[in-house]
Amino acid sequence: MVISLRTKILLTVITIVMMFGFFTLIYFPAQQGKLLLKNYNNEVQNLANTVALGVKIAITEQNFEGVQTAMEFVKDDPRLQFVSLVQYDTVWNNNRTKYGIKHAVFKTFPESEHPDANITSADSIIVKRSPFSTSVMTGEVLLAFTTKEIKESKRKIRTTSLIVSGGVFVVGLLIAFWLARNISIPVKALRNAALRVSEGDYSHRLKAFSNDEIGELGVAFNKMTDDLSRSRQQLNETNVSLSNANKALNDTLVELQSAQAQLIHSEKMASLGELTAGIAHEIENPLNFVNNFSEISIELLDELKQTKLNLLSAEDKEEAENIIYALVQNLQKITHHGKRADGIVKGMLQHSQSSTGKKELTDINKLADEYLRLSYHGLRAKDPSFNATMETDFDQSLDEINIIPQDIGRVLLNLFNNAFYSVTEKRKQPQQNDYQPTISVSTKKEVDKLVILVRDNGNGIPEKVLDKIFQPFFTTKPSGQGTGLGLSLSYDIIKAHGGELKVETKEGEGAEFIIELPLK
Amino acid sequence: MAPKIFLVLIFLSIGLVAKSQEGALTVISNQRGAPAILKYSELRSILMGEKQRWRNGSKIVIALMKTNTATGKITSEKIYDMSADELNKFWLALVFQGKAPAPAFFNTAAELQNFVSQNPGAIGIVDQLSHSDNLRTIIIDGKSRIL
Repeated sequence: MVISLRTKILLTVITIVMMFGFFTLIYFPAQQGKLLLKNYNNEVQNLANTVALGVKIAITEQNFEGVQTAMEFVKDDPRLQFVSLVQYDTVWNNNRTKYGIKHAVFKTFPESEHPDANITSADSIIVKRSPFSTSVMTGEVLLAFTTKEIKESKRKIRTTSLIVSGGVFVVGLLIAFWLARNISIPVKALRNAALRVSEGDYSHRLKAFSNDEIGELGVAFNKMTDDLSRSRQQLNETNVSLSNANKALNDTLVELQSAQAQLIHSEKMASLGELTAGIAHEIENPLNFVNNFSEISIELLDELKQTKLNLLSAEDKEEAENIIYALVQNLQKITHHGKRADGIVKGMLQHSQSSTGKKELTDINKLADEYLRLSYHGLRAKDPSFNATMETDFDQSLDEINIIPQDIGRVLLNLFNNAFYSVTEKRKQPQQNDYQPTISVSTKKEVDKLVILVRDNGNGIPEKVLDKIFQPFFTTKPSGQGTGLGLSLSYDIIKAHGGELKVETKEGEGAEFIIELPLK
Repeated sequence: MAPKIFLVLIFLSIGLVAKSQEGALTVISNQRGAPAILKYSELRSILMGEKQRWRNGSKIVIALMKTNTATGKITSEKIYDMSADELNKFWLALVFQGKAPAPAFFNTAAELQNFVSQNPGAIGIVDQLSHSDNLRTIIIDGKSRIL
């Protein structure tokens, strides 16, 4: 069982008061009664001795009325029960062989009293004897006082003790409650404040209770709370500072990792570029022979057909025409694919060669809009059924930016072509009746950079190939529809401008390419 | 020889007289109150506290020599026929019983005579009266001294 501080204080004070009550109600009256009785006995004995002395002197001086006067010395005392003069007589037996001492009351005052010579003290009276001896007579003064006064004094002591005890009890209770209130309440407030502080509330302050130790405790607690609050604040600030530093470190680490990845990527791309350039250069000459001779072969076959074929019989001519036709078809395919290969080689060479263009102040909004329409109409020319919604949101506050417009135009064209390809592919998918292909282009100016956003609502880019899309020759398009060099080339161009090319995509919902170019 | 015997007889008689005078008591009183003549029985009755008023009604005041004086002892023996302690106890009893006022006891005859002379109705016993104006010797049974 837990006893509260308030209860302990109450119990302590009540115990002290009860002990005091026991002392004042029982012990003190008893001791006072004994003391009173002792003093009273002494007083009566002294009076008896005085009377006896007076009697002795009076008898010795033969002042017999003085004897009476001596006896009447105590007559005015209200406590007097009686005073007697007792005479000792020697009484012999008849043969005078033995004797006894007979005590006989010689005189008593007041005369109405007739005490026995051998009377002793009782509850109601105190009897004292004082012997005397003269030549005239031997005896004793017997003095008896009533104990009424003692009893009355005891009663007064008890009454006084009762009143004092009651008063002390009441005062004690009041003090106990006061103490309990003045100790318990501040201690409870201190406990509650400590709990609040432990819960992190440093705003709570204790009121000044008093100027004593409890008050000082409250002041010390408030000071401790202040110190804790300051320490916590400093700790928080340090934590924030550390957190910021940590975040900065993390950011730096991420940037470093990104830079490292980009560096590795760049190195890889550079190696690829060099390799590609070498291969392309070596392939370009044989390929020129293939293309040139295939075209010449077609011309020769056409010339053969018009000149020498008429010399053959009709049957042979028909057979020869069929063969020539097949050869022409083959040569056309060789030419077609040779030119395609030539295009790839030229692209590869472009990839590996540094740009030859010069930077000039360019209106990026106008450039983006121009290439968007160029891309759209180019696709419309190939596929008249193609249709898509184009949305633009150009930041009109943009100033002209210093870029190589041909290069950035190629980047934009690549991105627009890819976007249109993606929405076209999605529209071809079944259950896309309500699908509205949309390409959005927007520009905006940030603090120290220009941002161009190219967004489509096509199929998006699968997560598993996302880290490969900027690699050369990587393409998700079917064979013959993409070289896999567009995004790689775009990436290199943006990097060459000191910018960033990033992509955000969600598979099935679309992709957004973000071009960031520094303003300075 | 005869004159010598005579002288011896004279000295003897003088000695006997002197001897007979030794232990004699004189009853004195104030001029006022006490009669000049009293019978011995009256005197004894007065001294025993039995009679406390003179014939004229005035109060009798007894004056005695203390029992530790020679005159006091003679008084207690001759008049009271008691020892000194018995006399004291006798008077103590009388006083305590309220039957009589206690006598006044004195150490010297002069004090006693002075007391008697100053208190009308006072009667005292001395060995011999010294002259005093306000005192007189009471004749007891026709004698001025009690032998």
